[in-house]
Amino acid sequence: MSLYNFKKIAVVPTAKDFIDIIFSKTQRKTPTVVHKQYKITRIRSFYTRKVKFSQQSFHDRLTQILTEFPKLDDVHPFYADLMNVLYDKDHYKLALGQINTARHLIDNVAKDYVRLMKYGDSLYRCKQLKRAALGRMATIMKRQGSNLTYLEQVRQHLARLPSIDPYTRTIIICGFPNVGKSSFINKITRADVEVQPYAFTTKSLYVGHTDYKYLRWQVIDTPGILDHSLEERNVIEMQAVTALAHLRACILYFMDLSEQCGHTLDDQVKLFESIKPLFANKPLIVVANKTDIVKLDELPKDRRAVLKEIEEDSELTVLEMSTVTDLGVMEVKTEACEKLLSYRVDQKMRTKKVDGVLNRLHVALPKARDSKVRAPCIPEAVLAKKIQTAEKKKRKLERDIEIEEGDDYVLDLNKEYKEIPEEERYDIIPEIWEGHNVADYIDPDIFNKLEELEREEEIRDETGMYVVPKIELDDTIKEIKKLALQIRHKKAIIKDEARINKQSRKPVMPRTAGAKVRDRSVSKLREDMENLGVDMSNTEEAHFTKTKPRARSVGPPVKKMRMEVSSSGSTTVTKKTPNKNRSLSRTPRNELGVKDAIMKKKLAKIAHRAIAKKVGRMGLKGEADRFIGTKMPRHLFAGKRGVGKTDRR
Amino acid sequence: MALRVQFENNNEIGVFSKLTNAYCLVGIGGSENFYSAFEGELAENIPVVHASLAGCRIIGRMCVGNKNGLLVPSSTFDTELQHIRNALPDSVKVQRVEERLSALGNVIACNDYVALVHPDLDRETEEIIADTLKVEVFRQTIASNVLVGSYCVLSNQGGLVHPNTSIVDQEELSSLLQVPLVAGTINRGSEVVAAGLVVNDWCAFAGMDTTSTELTVVESVFRLNEAVPSNITSAMRASLIESMS
Repeated sequence: MSLYNFKKIAVVPTAKDFIDIIFSKTQRKTPTVVHKQYKITRIRSFYTRKVKFSQQSFHDRLTQILTEFPKLDDVHPFYADLMNVLYDKDHYKLALGQINTARHLIDNVAKDYVRLMKYGDSLYRCKQLKRAALGRMATIMKRQGSNLTYLEQVRQHLARLPSIDPYTRTIIICGFPNVGKSSFINKITRADVEVQPYAFTTKSLYVGHTDYKYLRWQVIDTPGILDHSLEERNVIEMQAVTALAHLRACILYFMDLSEQCGHTLDDQVKLFESIKPLFANKPLIVVANKTDIVKLDELPKDRRAVLKEIEEDSELTVLEMSTVTDLGVMEVKTEACEKLLSYRVDQKMRTKKVDGVLNRLHVALPKARDSKVRAPCIPEAVLAKKIQTAEKKKRKLERDIEIEEGDDYVLDLNKEYKEIPEEERYDIIPEIWEGHNVADYIDPDIFNKLEELEREEEIRDETGMYVVPKIELDDTIKEIKKLALQIRHKKAIIKDEARINKQSRKPVMPRTAGAKVRDRSVSKLREDMENLGVDMSNTEEAHFTKTKPRARSVGPPVKKMRMEVSSSGSTTVTKKTPNKNRSLSRTPRNELGVKDAIMKKKLAKIAHRAIAKKVGRMGLKGEADRFIGTKMPRHLFAGKRGVGKTDRR
Repeated sequence: MALRVQFENNNEIGVFSKLTNAYCLVGIGGSENFYSAFEGELAENIPVVHASLAGCRIIGRMCVGNKNGLLVPSSTFDTELQHIRNALPDSVKVQRVEERLSALGNVIACNDYVALVHPDLDRETEEIIADTLKVEVFRQTIASNVLVGSYCVLSNQGGLVHPNTSIVDQEELSSLLQVPLVAGTINRGSEVVAAGLVVNDWCAFAGMDTTSTELTVVESVFRLNEAVPSNITSAMRASLIESMS
């Protein structure tokens, strides 16, 4: 509930513990085995890792301290001031600031040594670098020893501070030491503050809670205040002053009329006047305590005169009370709560916070719309019980029976059938009897009702309620319908024909098949035979050379003879150069086995369709989009490689 | 008399129970603690009955009723219906309703004289409500919520509605229902008031989380003790402002 919880701050270890914690963590969480035969990069990364890990651990731990401790600028001014009084603001800020600097220094050390590690050329040197880095980090932390102990003390004290909510309804009790402040808080709350007959029994703020008007009220007991200037006040008094200054609460200023506290009425009035600025704009009540010894009216005239000014102030209320006899204690509490409540409500009304809930503060009372009486229906017994006429009898509840019987308890539903006689109450009624659901026949008139319904239905049937009306069609509609039927038939036929035509029965030439190469030739035969050792000379005119050329010309066209152009300008036919055909480039794959341009065009179309189909179906970007589900299947790439192949295991 | 109770660590007790001036239905739970809280308070005057509807414990949201009758959804089993008929006095008519919006408790809010219903409820259901429960039926919304049964708790002496209901709406509803109305919350700020509160003319049960301010508002508006509804605007005003803002 409360806004501020300082109990959750983690423990701040001492400098020595801090270093031990971090280094043992480094040892535990980084690899520990390294050999000088290892590749130097591996050795370097081994030590770099250690340095970096230590740095990160220091960094995290210090950051945690910095974030967990409350920042004085962020907390409520009451807490900020209280912490200033208790722990000294400057010291606190300095401690946190130095922790922050230490964090930066450690980061820089790590950065430097990681950089140096790149020049380490042996295991020994790398190790020395790591040692140096960790040693410097440890030194930096050691210097923070006093800060860490201070912060730990602050943490322990913070955790024990009372959880005061600065925004809620608060009553603050203040006054000289020993005037009965703690006795009063013990009377109205369960705070259980120590009460002793000497001054400064209460050395810090105490909080108790009390209820009034369905609300919870926070009561703060403060240590006694002495009348001297602000500079002379000690830490104990300053806590009280802080609470008075920053909490918007109802203030109870306690006075001891009997002067048993050791301070005269004069002193008490003087203190009241001197701390009055702290009460500005707050509801204030002056409580005259210890009336069991001397009452306000019994005071001698001269001493009463001292109080005159206070009593005559119209903004102040003076109440008498005695914590010994309990006289006036509740009046003081009620008055304080009432004053604070009306003050807070006033403030809220002024700041328009209430506008959102105005509808919930309203009771809508009905305006009579007819003369009908709508009386409440309360049994006589209840009314009698209300006015305490009926005697109370303890009833044995189902819960009692359950506890009595323990595990044997079974919920008895039939017990509740009060209107059924006891002997029939536990009769077993079958759910289904002779194939009929009993529940369907629970109504004795069911058959009469059914008959009646059937009769009604018959009458409806006879009067022609359910006859489907005949729809008259005129000539144009009929014509349109006939035409539509024809169109539908025709469409079906076209569809069937198209399907049949699409089925091709021609042999399919796969597009990947190579072109047919003619490899029987005279020259090849001759060559082969020569290779085999057959003498093929004088076969120019042999029979096997008498082949018929193909009708279609293949091969390169006959080249024109090269003509040498002489300088004189005349041209002469020189000797024929060996036929240098240009090497034919291979037919592109998409033209292999393609007869002519028409076929090529057709094939392109087919290919385009096939690709479009595939692309559409698989949601690809284009023909070149090849999708591979998993690039590196884990089972093939993870783990150590044993013997065997790397692609299948 | 207003009590705080809990159903198996759940504060939405209006879901598991149905309280009227003539009977009280309680869901069947793991133990009898919840049942006995009702039994101890009510059993001398009205029957307190274990019930389930369609095998569910959420009877408070499934059915609707007053001293004259009880409407249960069509999904209710025959045996369950028979059990309820046996356990309730004959003056209470139990009726099964074929309605698309089968969580009748969420779509209907009623006392012994008037009922507010969901605007989309069937015509036939509306007639059945009027006949069985003997109430005047009004199609209404509460703070522009159609689930009137969830956002409104009614007795013959008062009513609690959704906290966002405007003053104009409250006045209108109050004149329809002829009872004083207050907008408020239950269970420490829950706006589903019907889920956290069941009430009849002399007794109320609220979830365990209900704050004392909420409970006092309930006691005043339903006239459960000497307090009268006007207390909310006079004596309790300051406390209410303090606790709400």
